[in-house]
Amino acid sequence: MFQVYLFLFLSCVALFSAMMVLLSKKPIHSVLYLTLTFFALAGHYILLNAQFLAVVHVIVYAGAIMVLFLFTVMLLNLNKEGQFPKTTLVKIIAAIAGGLLFVVLIGSLKSFDLATVSNPAVSQIGLVKNLGKTLFSQYLLPFELSSILFLSAMVGAVMLGKKDKE
Amino acid sequence: MYAIITISIVAIIVLFFGAFGKKKMILPVIFVGLPLAFIVNLMGWNQSIHYFNEMYIDDNFTIAFNGLLLFIALLIFVFAPVYYKSVKRPLEDIYALILFSLVGGLMMTAFGNLVMLFLGIETLSLSLYLLAGSKKSDPRSNEAAMKYFLTGSFASGFLLFGIALLYGACGSFNLEDIKLYVIQNQANIPAMFSIGLLLMAVGLAFKVGAAPFHFWIPDVYEGSPTLITTYMATVGKVAAFAAFFRLINSSFGDVDFLWKTSLIVFAVATILIGNFAALYQDSVKRMMAYSGVAHAGYMLIAIIALKGNAAGVLLLYSVSYSIATITAFAVLMMVRKETGSFSIKSFNGLAKHNPTVAFAMTIAMLSLAGIPPLIGFSAKYQLFVSAIEQGQLPLVIIAIVGSMVSVYYYLRPVVAMYFTRSIESTPFEAAKLYKKQILFVALLLIILSFIPGLIINLI
Repeated sequence: MFQVYLFLFLSCVALFSAMMVLLSKKPIHSVLYLTLTFFALAGHYILLNAQFLAVVHVIVYAGAIMVLFLFTVMLLNLNKEGQFPKTTLVKIIAAIAGGLLFVVLIGSLKSFDLATVSNPAVSQIGLVKNLGKTLFSQYLLPFELSSILFLSAMVGAVMLGKKDKE
Repeated sequence: MYAIITISIVAIIVLFFGAFGKKKMILPVIFVGLPLAFIVNLMGWNQSIHYFNEMYIDDNFTIAFNGLLLFIALLIFVFAPVYYKSVKRPLEDIYALILFSLVGGLMMTAFGNLVMLFLGIETLSLSLYLLAGSKKSDPRSNEAAMKYFLTGSFASGFLLFGIALLYGACGSFNLEDIKLYVIQNQANIPAMFSIGLLLMAVGLAFKVGAAPFHFWIPDVYEGSPTLITTYMATVGKVAAFAAFFRLINSSFGDVDFLWKTSLIVFAVATILIGNFAALYQDSVKRMMAYSGVAHAGYMLIAIIALKGNAAGVLLLYSVSYSIATITAFAVLMMVRKETGSFSIKSFNGLAKHNPTVAFAMTIAMLSLAGIPPLIGFSAKYQLFVSAIEQGQLPLVIIAIVGSMVSVYYYLRPVVAMYFTRSIESTPFEAAKLYKKQILFVALLLIILSFIPGLIINLI
């Protein structure tokens, strides 16, 4: 029962903050509401027994990408109202694009048989323990070799960022 | 497997020597490490060991291509000290990135699992994006890095989406399992599977530089530092082709109706666009970039004509293309160093003052054009023969027309070198630096021309 209340609460928060992303006048408020949306979604992942996904979601989206957004908004000084004029043409285009996505979502939901879906909360596949076991046994080699990828990215970042003396 | 470990350790040692200011130790470490990796690589010959749950397959195909990649990298490092002679700062970061991308290339030839394929491609490409921009003071280099990064990450997205769809259809990343799935469901392949395969082909066609996904090649090859361009055009292309071949050969041989038509379209477009665009280039570097596109088209034929000894043909073609390309780019480095431009005019009268270098350039150009008795001819000949055996006669006719067109632009630098007079009358200063190395690569090309049969029957 507690889970149901939690689900309802998180869903309300997610929907409300997602709406506020669109409705806020100031870009910085939109960015902050987007962060809140991501946190609410991470809560949903935990309810579905996908701990790893939840943590990665918080680290990557709420951590890295949102900080990038915030920096961009602040550095480019975009935090003023009315910077992006909303003409009728833009509104029509946005309505068509959003409407098409909506139709696709409805269509795919209609053709989907909800009865056959097993409850993902029962499955143990998203648990950190199981994921770690797979990662360190079956996928050991890719896991180790990805360190080369990250090392080269770090070396490259230093190379591009460093100031040459000559 | 051990070659990957060796190269990774060498790269980290290089970084450490750079960090502690031991500049003189960097190149000797590389010149010990690469031959060591080459020898270690040969150890698993004829054993076909599968490492780590089929992640890495060490069969003869892998060993031959990895040996080629290591050898090309060694040749490029031979030119590194002369190319970077005027640069005072320690170059450990650039050398380490080259070695890291080599690790990516070694992974791509040997993958037994699509996860490894993606990881290998990303390791190779990420290092190449960075290397393309390694000449920070040059806006062209920055532009090349930016263009390569944006388009390359887009292509990686295609590849990843394709892999995801294939996983959705088969439920496995393993090449053997995918092959099993293909055999069982040959009659009714789901749309998800064929779309995934097509998306993967698009991603890989981008990485090998096949038309219509070749648009990044001229700008990136022209803007990058020439040594890095040489590396991209040889190691990057050979590794991507080995990966493409292994993917198609080990899993999708039985469903060739899914990919054959698209690959034929790619190959025809690549050969025609590459050769005809190269005709109009004034810069030799840009011309070599388009020549690389055209050669990607020929190499695609080896994948289309999958049966028979296509792997051997692909190996022979890779050898001939890589060695000739390195020779041509080395001469280009020298000319650029002396005249400051890549244009065809700067080759004028080269033969009079630097006959050795002009001879090397001629050999490279003739081999790329496929003139007998050089190795380029035997490679093209074997390729066309194996394609005709598979009933691809129209494709071969188009390829031959493309080859004939290519003779014109390959001979343009040769004509400039031998038959046009230069304004300057002194021999090139830079020739002293480059002469020995260029002569070495050109001799290698001539020696290899005698043993095409040995290479083709290797795997």
